[in-house]
Amino acid sequence: MNTVTRLTKTAPAAPVVQEVSPARPASLGRALAAAGGALTAASTLVAWTWTPAFPGDLTVNGWPGGLQVLTLASGLLTVLAALGAYGVRGFRWAVPAGATTALRLFALGGLAVTWFAVGAISWTLGGSINVEPGGWFAAAASVVPVVGAFLLPQDPRVPLKPRQLPSWAELLLIAAAAGAGLLVFTYGIGTEGELFAGFLITAGFAAAGLAKAGLLARLTGLTARHRTTASAATLVAAIAFPFTGSDETYMSVGVNILIFATVALGLNVVVGLAGLLDLGYVAFLGVGAYTAALVSGASASALGIHLPFWAAVLAGGLVSMLFGLLIGAPTLRVRGDYLAIVTLGFGEIFRIAVNNLDGKSGPNITGGPGGIPNIPDLSLFGFDFGATHVIAGVPLGRFANYFLLMLLVTAVVVVVFQRVGESRTGRAWVAIREDETAATAMGINSFKLKLIAFALGAALAGVAGTVQAHVSYAVVPDPYQFAGAVPPNSAFLLAAVVLGGTGTVAGPLIGAALLYLIPMKLQFMQDYQLMAFGIALILLMRFRPDGLVADRRKRMNDEAAGATA
Amino acid sequence: MSDEYVLDATGVTMRFGGLTAVRGVDLRVGSGEIVGLIGPNGAGKTTFFNCLTGLYVPTEGTVRYRGTVLPPKPHLVTKAGIARTFQNIRLFAHMTVLENVLVGRHTRTKEGLLSALLRGPGFRRAEAESRERALELLEFTGLAAKADHLARNLPYGEQRKLEIARALASDPGLLLLDEPTAGMNPQETRVTEELVFAIRDRGTAVLVIEHDMRFIFNLCDRVACLVQGEKLVEGTADVVRGDERVVAAYLGTTEGAAA
Amino acid sequence: MHELPQTLANGLLLGSMYGLIAIGYTMVYGIVQLINFAHGEVFMTGGFGALTAFLMLPSGVSLWLALPVMLLAAVLVSTSVAVLAERLAYRPLRGSSRLAPLITAIGLSIAIQQMVWAWYPDAKQARTFPHLPGGPYELGPVTVQTGDVFLVVAAVLSMLALMWFVRSTRTGRAMQATAQDPDTSRLMGINTDRIIVTAFAIGAAFAALAAVAHGLRYGQVDFRMGFITGLKAFTAAVLGGIGSIQGAMLGGLALGLAEALAAGYVKFLPGLELFGGGAWANVWAFVLLIVVLLIRPQGLFSKLTADRA
Repeated sequence: MNTVTRLTKTAPAAPVVQEVSPARPASLGRALAAAGGALTAASTLVAWTWTPAFPGDLTVNGWPGGLQVLTLASGLLTVLAALGAYGVRGFRWAVPAGATTALRLFALGGLAVTWFAVGAISWTLGGSINVEPGGWFAAAASVVPVVGAFLLPQDPRVPLKPRQLPSWAELLLIAAAAGAGLLVFTYGIGTEGELFAGFLITAGFAAAGLAKAGLLARLTGLTARHRTTASAATLVAAIAFPFTGSDETYMSVGVNILIFATVALGLNVVVGLAGLLDLGYVAFLGVGAYTAALVSGASASALGIHLPFWAAVLAGGLVSMLFGLLIGAPTLRVRGDYLAIVTLGFGEIFRIAVNNLDGKSGPNITGGPGGIPNIPDLSLFGFDFGATHVIAGVPLGRFANYFLLMLLVTAVVVVVFQRVGESRTGRAWVAIREDETAATAMGINSFKLKLIAFALGAALAGVAGTVQAHVSYAVVPDPYQFAGAVPPNSAFLLAAVVLGGTGTVAGPLIGAALLYLIPMKLQFMQDYQLMAFGIALILLMRFRPDGLVADRRKRMNDEAAGATA
Repeated sequence: MSDEYVLDATGVTMRFGGLTAVRGVDLRVGSGEIVGLIGPNGAGKTTFFNCLTGLYVPTEGTVRYRGTVLPPKPHLVTKAGIARTFQNIRLFAHMTVLENVLVGRHTRTKEGLLSALLRGPGFRRAEAESRERALELLEFTGLAAKADHLARNLPYGEQRKLEIARALASDPGLLLLDEPTAGMNPQETRVTEELVFAIRDRGTAVLVIEHDMRFIFNLCDRVACLVQGEKLVEGTADVVRGDERVVAAYLGTTEGAAA
Repeated sequence: MHELPQTLANGLLLGSMYGLIAIGYTMVYGIVQLINFAHGEVFMTGGFGALTAFLMLPSGVSLWLALPVMLLAAVLVSTSVAVLAERLAYRPLRGSSRLAPLITAIGLSIAIQQMVWAWYPDAKQARTFPHLPGGPYELGPVTVQTGDVFLVVAAVLSMLALMWFVRSTRTGRAMQATAQDPDTSRLMGINTDRIIVTAFAIGAAFAALAAVAHGLRYGQVDFRMGFITGLKAFTAAVLGGIGSIQGAMLGGLALGLAEALAAGYVKFLPGLELFGGGAWANVWAFVLLIVVLLIRPQGLFSKLTADRA
């Protein structure tokens, strides 16, 4: 007879703590962590180098610049976590799931970025002689909190149930989180080279620390309770981006990230929701782009018609969907792995085809390697997207205009994704993914549903493609390949979905942003970028195959595992 | 007259290359009946089930449900009115208990992609109805308290019950149960027995494969015994229990220890 | 029309190369249900291995003496890459979702390509591969190069060896068993890990053979040569019936013939004048795949097997 021990979900009455040796290391650890954090933060106020030749100007006493800002952030986070560890009133909210791991991560982050900074200074300026005493002080100071944090015993608290805050407070928190996200994103997008690398390091450790502290889980809980507000806040933050005054280059980056992210979200329908392996997805983006190019009045277009924008979008989506149906119908009836090869083949065939439909090796539809140039800018309701307008005192240039337009498309795709994910169709997809035989036994026509997913994904990519055509002025065959150094291409799209976390909305968006920015910003690694990308994929699948953003089911699974442990 | 039989299988034969797994089996189940299917391991019972549900296309023979020949596609068979559970539990492990049953409801609802995107009143109503029906079934099987648990976290006995609830969600006229009490203790087996009676009382006929003789003989109106792909004997519990060939084919006593 | 025999010959030669590579895909897929995306790179590195061996030999050595050394080097390199990939990248993921090993394979493929591009001297462009001496041979209406003769002889011999190996040796039979039921095989005492590595290694060896043949035929090796050829080889494996070794070779031949015929004759079909030639050959190969999947999804040359529910 089995007896199952049932654990209740309330907080344990008396946590079973192993009384390991003296409590001294704990209090010493806390002290070191707190003091060290403060010192590290303070060290950013002195100069680390004597020459502004190192980017970011770390020469000013009394004000942090460049990489110092990142060290400052890490130091402050360390102090925050340490105060939480002390249980100081007013700061207990900071580390609901336990302070130790979070402290270790924040401290390590500070150490990493500070030593990276000192190293970078020595490297670029040619010798550690170029590092001012302030820099050495910072390097030493950043070791202290790490020592302290590792002296602390493990702090495996069962995460406390959050105190129920009044609604307005929760909404405010969500808005604040959105704002913070915007700030981090804008900062990141504006950095280059070493600063970007430092930004990645800091952001990585900080995110990990926040996750281990339980704060990210709290945030997710908040957003789950106030879904509409969270979505609205994110949308507002996104709309605010063009108004932050970043110059046109960054706007161009922003709109391309948005396109990449939207396409990744479309792929997430196919791969993340329905579990279909599509390795040639970027071809659907291309179909949409070429369709738009052909019908939007470009002089080189073989069709020579100029449809209004909404019709072009419709056309792009429909033609893409058609190709999706054509490819899907024969392939989805058979084993899933075949789909991978067929889609890969389709991706390649698409590229070959558009390259050769230039009038010489094939009828002239796509203009061959030269593509279709000079696509005219959109003009909707009198608003010329190509021109700069001043709105609310901020000049919005061409890319900013297209950014806002694309945001609309992204919002639609997000809504589509959410609505279809939580519906009879979405459930059927998950069922097929879990166990196709059982799903058909439950009355699900698996072929029909897989085809719907595939066609929907294709349509979404096609729509994104129509905007891309206008943003890039011209459509050429080059970008639509399986793998290449510059996203979007099928491998990068798949990676964005997998890195971010399949089946979620935030996952592909974050994954896409990271995958677009990293190769772009780390130009000094150009030759090795693609190699690093390949290796990164291998490591990612080995150590964190679920990606960065765990989806609802995995979270439930982890919670349940924790409760019955 | 033929549609008083919920199931009418005639001459069902299944050959895989050189191996004949099921040979000329006839079986009828009337509405309101509970019929048992017994036989030693490898006798072809699950293969026969798979022929009934369209997972295999029988090499010979026909399967009729309420008089109509069934198309050999599992989802159409379920749509027609035959539902099943599996010998090795095949739940949707990463879906919740409620979601599993909702999926079972799929074939009785029709809200598709467009409806999901537009979220009109029809969609909302359909979702509400499905949820209500699903919860009802969870109540019926005693799982209502765990509606939001992940299926994989349920204890074994409850997973079996969930499979049954999920199968019932498609409002079948005939439920095929494949070894529903495998691995259960006598207490759980008794609960399952009562559940099957309740299912029959709700209007669903049941065809059950089992090794637990006491369970089968308590439960079933009729029992058929399959040995090496052929139907050896069919009749009431006493008839089958007393048949020497059945006893010889099985190594168990009439006490019927679970396999 | 007088070109037909030559076209057919070219098709068969191309096809045997695809077949050799397809064997690697089919063996691995048959046992672990993994599309070894990186197999194309196994092929490519074999080619570079052969080139390196050639470059290291004292100049003036007859190619006939060099050839076995090059073959050996190719096989060594290919097999090492394949075995390392299995050990370090694929084995830790056994039992996880379908997506994870596929992504790993893609990453591996990209990484290896880039490593060769970045670190092999002058590999950013194609590198010249030696030519086998001996003029073209005329066999009736068909002209073949020496490299082609090598390819045919090598393909036939190795296929025969493999068939014998799978049917008559202990390891070969163990491989069949593992492909059909890995759990039971393990219970029977078969070291499935070792069998899997063997499958990878044999597949790699065949790919190495194909790489040397490729180099001899086209006169060059290129860091990108694995990608498209690999894709087509996997198509060939699917065409022939995945998991079947004969199927792989037959599928390869079928694909090669289809490509050659399409390149040569599609332009004579009404309405398709512009769609012939080498540029569109790949497209037609792909269309062939779709058609086969529509009509006979288990492959052209496979037998139906039951699937236990």
